[in-house]
Amino acid sequence: MPIVTIHPTGEVIYLEPDETVLSGLYKAGYAYTIGCRRGGCAICKVDCHEGSFTYNRPVADSVITAEESSDGTCLSCRAVPDSDITIELRGENVRLVNPFLRQLNDKARQRAEQYAASTAAAQGVTASARTSPTTSPS
Amino acid sequence: MAVMRMGYVHARVTDLAEAKHHYANTLGLYETLATDGKIFFKGWDEWDHHSVVLEEGGVGVVKYGFKVEYESDIDLIEKRAREFGLTVERMSAGENPEVSDGIRFTAPSEHIFEVYHAQTVIGTEVGTHNPEAFPRHLVGVGVPALDHSLILAEDVRTMENMFKHVFDFFPTERVQTDLEDDDAHYIATWMTSNNQIHQIAVLEGPQGKLHHFAFKLQDWTEIGRAADIMTMDDVPIDIGPTRHGITRGQTIYFFDPSGNRNEVFAGGYPAYRDRPINKWTPDQIAKGIFYHAREINERFTTVST
Repeated sequence: MPIVTIHPTGEVIYLEPDETVLSGLYKAGYAYTIGCRRGGCAICKVDCHEGSFTYNRPVADSVITAEESSDGTCLSCRAVPDSDITIELRGENVRLVNPFLRQLNDKARQRAEQYAASTAAAQGVTASARTSPTTSPS
Repeated sequence: MAVMRMGYVHARVTDLAEAKHHYANTLGLYETLATDGKIFFKGWDEWDHHSVVLEEGGVGVVKYGFKVEYESDIDLIEKRAREFGLTVERMSAGENPEVSDGIRFTAPSEHIFEVYHAQTVIGTEVGTHNPEAFPRHLVGVGVPALDHSLILAEDVRTMENMFKHVFDFFPTERVQTDLEDDDAHYIATWMTSNNQIHQIAVLEGPQGKLHHFAFKLQDWTEIGRAADIMTMDDVPIDIGPTRHGITRGQTIYFFDPSGNRNEVFAGGYPAYRDRPINKWTPDQIAKGIFYHAREINERFTTVST
């Protein structure tokens, strides 16, 4: 459950597994400058400051140059985060155009975070239970 | 001499399988050949072997083919291209599968144009003997044929001059900064050789780029149905259904799975050489492009492949 954080405005957006950054932001009620939504026009590029991502389709060399493939440039319509990532838009901020979708995304993120926390806690209990025999006094 | 039509567009796609799904199953083109990493298609009402060629690797347009009526037209166009200062090379039959010999040149816009006089004739899907009105098992939108393309170029006036001199095209509409041609800067031009309202259009923009290529439809009803099918197949729609003020055509702009812009285009009034050119001023360009919204979306001038 990757979380996209938008720098510097601080929005946090929950993405479904295998979802692209563009798809996730629009499904969370946000809009920004996009074009073809299919990797051809290069208009939806953002900068990725933290975390990594993978393109879910081949991307044309004319869209992402060799230099851009290693300088944090992120073609948001094709980029699927590998983990939580932090991005910054180029010369604009996201616009919240659908607050209802924003609310749904917030709830989905909270549920996912709670689930992650409870899973981690359960694993912690199991781990301590497993280690307890060796630490028990004789 | 006569250039009859834009016979084929050869485009690049990033994923040939996804592209095939779009052009065959959503638009309803017929695959006529797959070879050497390329797929060839024709519309149901086209008789020549292909009008669309897709090649895997990259995006944008590789080249266009324009078909002339007579073999002898090739020599004349070659002469005119040289007069215009273009470097022309001969192409032999079979360099493009199922396409005759002809010529090839690179325009001042850096687009490659080929001129040919014959393709292998396959025939339309309804034939010529007491034909039905349309094939009853069309797939998806079921486009009958390729229609036109809009390309980007830094110098629109030079491109108009080239198409006039080399292809004997004439402009039907223009966007220009002054109604007096001599004083005007040309922002865009729409050109043809016959009654079709445009075969090629040129808009000011980066060299060598594709804005869109378009397929024919008949009317509003077909445009509306096409939009419904695009929704069913999750095709990104750029704008429409709407009307262009320029050409009066009814339209949807949409994107193929590699981000190349396509259009379905219906109507448009008949063009004539002696009809005065419709001229649009830059302050009214939004109404000219999108007649109902009267606003140019930010993608129209920024998104190309």
